[in-house]
This record gives sequence, C-alpha cells and structure tokens, in this order.
Amino acid sequence: MELQVGRIIRSSTTRFAVGCQVLRPQVPAFGSLVKVPAVGCDQIYGLIHDVRMEDDPFVQQVAALDSPPAEVIEDQRRRQVPIEVGVLVVGYQHQGEIYHRLPPQPPLSLDVLHTCTSEELVAFTGQFDYFRLVLDNRDLPADEMLAANLRAAAEARGGGGEGFRLSAGRELARLLALDLYRLDAILRRIRP
Amino acid sequence: MSEENSALDDFFSKRPPAAEMQTESHPLGIVVGGSLSKGLDVKLDRSAVVEGMAVGRYVVVRGQTGRRFFSIITDVALDSTNPGIEKAPPDTSDPFLAQVHQGTSTFGRLEVSPMLVLDRDSDEPKPVKTVPAHFAPVYEATEEDVNHVFGAEDERHFYVGAPLDMENVRVHLDLGRFVERSSGVFGKSGTGKTFLTRTLLAGIIRQSSAVNLIFDMHNEYGWESQAEGKHKVKGLRQLFPGKVSVMTLDAESSRRRSSKVDFEVRIGYDQIEPEDVDMLSNMLGLSDVQIGALYYLRRRLGKSWIEKLLAEGEAGEEGPTELDILLDEGKLHGGTLGAIQRKLGMFRRFGFLQPRATEDVVGKIMEYLDREINVILEFGRYGSTLEAYILVANYLTRRIHQRYVHRKEEALGREMEEPTPLVITIEEAHKFLDPSIARQTIFGTIARELRKYNVTLLIVDQRPSGIDEEVMSQIGTRVTALLDNEADIRAVFTGVSGASELRQVLARLDTRQQALILGHAVPMPVVVQTRTYGPELYAEVGHVEGDALQEKHRKNVHMMQGDEDFEGFD
Repeated sequence: MELQVGRIIRSSTTRFAVGCQVLRPQVPAFGSLVKVPAVGCDQIYGLIHDVRMEDDPFVQQVAALDSPPAEVIEDQRRRQVPIEVGVLVVGYQHQGEIYHRLPPQPPLSLDVLHTCTSEELVAFTGQFDYFRLVLDNRDLPADEMLAANLRAAAEARGGGGEGFRLSAGRELARLLALDLYRLDAILRRIRP
Repeated sequence: MSEENSALDDFFSKRPPAAEMQTESHPLGIVVGGSLSKGLDVKLDRSAVVEGMAVGRYVVVRGQTGRRFFSIITDVALDSTNPGIEKAPPDTSDPFLAQVHQGTSTFGRLEVSPMLVLDRDSDEPKPVKTVPAHFAPVYEATEEDVNHVFGAEDERHFYVGAPLDMENVRVHLDLGRFVERSSGVFGKSGTGKTFLTRTLLAGIIRQSSAVNLIFDMHNEYGWESQAEGKHKVKGLRQLFPGKVSVMTLDAESSRRRSSKVDFEVRIGYDQIEPEDVDMLSNMLGLSDVQIGALYYLRRRLGKSWIEKLLAEGEAGEEGPTELDILLDEGKLHGGTLGAIQRKLGMFRRFGFLQPRATEDVVGKIMEYLDREINVILEFGRYGSTLEAYILVANYLTRRIHQRYVHRKEEALGREMEEPTPLVITIEEAHKFLDPSIARQTIFGTIARELRKYNVTLLIVDQRPSGIDEEVMSQIGTRVTALLDNEADIRAVFTGVSGASELRQVLARLDTRQQALILGHAVPMPVVVQTRTYGPELYAEVGHVEGDALQEKHRKNVHMMQGDEDFEGFD
C-alpha cells in the first residue's frame, strides 16, 4: 500500500529532505524505499536515512518543566516545525525501467514523497547495483540503512527470503572484500 | 546414404551435436591466470566441491576460438580475496555467514597444466603451444574427451588402465612406441611394479610388438606366482603357451615351484671374459689395478683363465703353475693376485657356472628369439645374489646385443630382413646403470643408442635416482607407481619438460594399482588406475580355462560332429 510521507523541502541530485507533520506507525521508517515523481524521469527512488525533529524555543522551555501539562504535549504533536526526513537517492525509473544510478535532475520542492509497495520493493531489489551508491556514503549510517532495506526486501519476498539474503550477502562480500569487519557487521544484520 | 541418415534422424529425432551437449554441464571454474610454463590458475566455482578435486584428474578448458585445452590437475589449493580472512575468520558456525563466504571471499583454486590442444575442427590432439585467455571456463573432462585423446584399442594400442575416477574410460598405451625406445617401470617396493611390468609384457607379447628377453630375478614372470593377497596369478608362459619359453639357472628351484622349464642355462668359465667381470667391479670391490690385472691374466692364461685362477686357490698343485711364473717374472703383484682370487672365489658358489661350456647358451637364446619366442630366464635361488644376476644379465646381453648389431648392419648392407625388435627386461636396474659404470656397460650403451640396433630396455627399478642421468633422459616411456623419495621423484622427471607440476601428482599416488605414465607411448601424462592382472586380462590375451575351456571344447566338438540329434542328410 502506498502511503504519503510528506513534501520535499530541500533537494539535490544525491539527497533530499522531506517535511512531515506527524509520525505514524511504520511511516517514515529508517531504511525503507520511497519514491517521488520527477521531471526528467518517471520517478526517483530513495532510502530513508534519517528522521529528525528540530527543536524550537517553546519546546526547550516546556522540556525544562518538571511535569508539562498534557495539553501542551498534545499540542506539540501537531508541530509548527515539521519532522524532517532525510532521503538518499539510489535510482530512478524511466519508461518503466529501473536504473540504479543517480537521476538526471533532482525532485522539485513540495513534490509528494510516497512509500513503495512490496511489489515495487521486490522489483527494485532484483539487482544489487545500488549497493555501491549506499555504501559509499561514509557520513551516513550507510551499513545500517542497507541492512534495514535488505531485511525489508527479504520479508517482502515471503518465506524469510533466504535465497535473496544469500545472494545479497555474496554481493556484499564481493564489494567489501577489503573491509572484512564492515562486511561481517552487515552480514550479521541481514542473516535470517 | 545421407538420405538414409536423415530418415533415421526423423525417426529417432536428431542427436544434439557433441559440443552443445557438453556446454550444458556446469563449469568447474574459470581461468584467472597462469602461464604455459607454470600452468594455469583456475578459480573454482562456488558449486564445485574442493574436496572433490584430485591431482592427476583431467579438465578441459574451452578457449575463445573453440579450441579445447586438455589439461591435468597438478595442485589443489585454498585461496581468499583478502588474506585478512585467514587471521580473523568469520563465524562459520552460522550457516548463513558460512554460505556467504564460501566461494566468494574464500574459494578453491586449481593449478592445471595444459597438455594438449584440440582444434575446433581437427580431430587430432596437438601439443599445447599457448594458453586460453582469462576467464575461460574449465570443465571436468568427459569420458568422450579422454577417449578421444587416448585413442581406441587396436593392434598397436593396449589397454593399461582407467584414468582416476573414470572407470569406463580406457587409457591405451601405444606399444609400438613403447618398445621403440627404452622404457622404465618405477615405484617403491610393494607398489605393484611387477604386476605392471607383467601386464605390459603381456601386451607386448600379445601384440607381437617385439620379442622379449626377461631376466627374471624373483621368478615372477614365467610360471605361477603368488600375489600379496595370497591368490595365485598366472605367469606369461601359462598365458602364451608356445610363445614364451622359460629357461632357468636353478633347475631345482624351478622344479620345486613346478615351473615348466625348457632349458637349463649353464655358462662355462671359459666363456667368461674380463669385460663380464668388470661389470661386477663395484660389487666385488675390484680396484682399477685389479681390473687391469684381469685383462692381463686373460691375455696370458688364455680361455681357461678363470679356471686356472680358481684352481690356484685350491691347494695340492704340483710344480710351478703359470701363475707362479707370472709372479716370478714380476708381471703381477702377489697381493693383487690374491685379492682377485679371493674375490672371484664367489664363482664357485654359482652352480650354473661350470669349468667348460657344453652348450652355446647365447646361440640357444638367439634361436628362440629368432622364432619370435619370448625368453624368460629364471634365476631361482641366485636371484637373491645380485652378483649372479648382474653377471648373467650382462654376459648374455653383451653377446646378444653384439649379434643384433651384426645382423642389423648386415640387414643395412644387403637389404636383408631386419632382426625382430628385442626388449630386454632387467630388474634392480640401478645396479647396472649406476653413473659410475653406465658409460661402459652394455646396458648404458643400449639405453643411449635408442633403437638403432633394434634392442631396447625395459627397466624395472625402485631407485631411479641411482640410474645415470644420461640414461634416464633417454628413457622414452616412464611408468611410475608411487615414489616418495625426493631424489627418486626428481630422477623420474629427468628430461621431461613441465615436470615440476607433475611431481605433486606422483607423490600423491595410491600405494597400489595407480601409476603415472608419461612419455613416448602416451599423448600426454596420465594417472591410471591400472588394470588388474587377472582373469579378465587372461581372457583378453586369449587364455581360456575352466568353464570357458569346456565351452570351447564343446564348440569344437560340435563343429566336427554336428548336433547330437542330427541324423544325416538322407
């Protein structure tokens, strides 16, 4: 099922940020595959790498109280400053084909970001070319994000997706042959 | 004809072409490096089981141009993409981690040595002169491939065994080429050298590639002998009655073993020349001076020199003998003479030596060989006396070789028929071909002159490192059972190109019924599970016994007399 995550507030070719008002169960979830329509192609795919709540002066004051009144906390849930969701671009779809490359143009601000369905997740993770786009970001929790994405993709395949986990693991072993500790950490996160 | 074929094809549906059928099988791995001189490196595919590989097995590398490189596995190794994995191995108790790493970060590697190349549209394997490119797929050789290389059994080719793990494939030895040059059967004791030799000899006799003279040290070739499993195996004479003749030096031993003997060999003292004794110099400890004295004594004392020398040792002579005169003249030193007499005293113990020759043994043997009857000379109890073995082998070979040289030269001069090729089988060959004597002895000469005079050697030995290097390099075909001494292994590969890779193969042979054959008579080195010397082989060489014999008898009777209920035509 497709769910709306929020609207784009900032974007570039490699990453963009989305603002949303409230957190719902499972949305937005760390490492999940999301999509946004784009100008030069059908849609751009990304992985959620960060969910962030900025403070404002009022929150700081309330937080200092011993026991803030319940209505104030309830009021804070409908925020003035939106929750910011960071998305890493991992590919795009053009004329029905999925490409694990950076899109020609970034998404535009206020475009709507949606979660992907299980079918889309399965289709997108049919190849592993996007691993490099994820693993190269050393400033992000790239390994955790990829592991979360792979776990979701394995589940989406049903039956625990053991074959999928194995082939993804082997591709990781190939890419991370020179960094065995990093490889070991990811493999432990995706094992069934 | 072609129409007929197509009709059949319609009926049975066309068979896929051979090449297509083979590509369906999964490759073992891909070539990732290597060279022609050092062999190819093959990274094993994840699906290939490292433990399932074995040195000595065949693989086929498919090159880009349709060429197929027929290769032999020379080493199996473990490798990893990152050496760090050896220091900090992953937690393989987790099946997932183990499965991921297996074949990805850690994998098996093969070293294979390309031997022959089969061109796309040529049927004849050629020696390899190049290597396949990177990532060429490597397949296990199919039975068809191996058969292709080792040819079918025919008049010249004799089935010697099956390649490792290919029971249905037959490796054939080109016996014509086998006897063309001197050959060797090597292996440490207990590895089945004798069985191998007997099999090879049976092949040579059956296909009449050459006539054999076998110096049978341990009485194993002529008549029945016991295998290690306590069962009896048939001797060559039993398999080829009429084509094999057994002679003996020790009639008593032959009788005890109820070996059928045609002739008892006796050599007269007067037939022995100093050259025959010279061969024993190492064993008897004769110094150069003493050897010189032998020749001198022969000149002075004439034909009966040994008799006179030995008689001198015995007391009771009257008056000054010829030897006393020589001593008085100062031509001979008393110490030297004493030493010679003492050392030659051993001849008295050799029952086959007698003061005067009554028969021409060499002539007799030649007579048999001329009639293409193979001669086995049993040594009986003298087989355990190396001196006797060497003396007799050398004595006979020198003279027979001389006659062959004579005949061959005659044949060249007058365009007469050449003498039948002769193969002389000697055991404990390193005693004859020791570097210090190989240059002078007849066996060294025969090995070096190749087939010039139609005489070649079949050397059976457990210590090839003791054989002169020059002789070893002239050995055409080497059949080698397990050897584990480094020097012996090196010796076997003397004069063989690309030998370094094959060493591993040799050192890893089973102790029984496995042999590496390389050289002139096979297109490429091959490890075989040698065929069993037993009923199957007996039958193949035409020997019938038991029920089969009864059946043959019945058939013959039937041919002569017709059916039992046949009452005549009228």
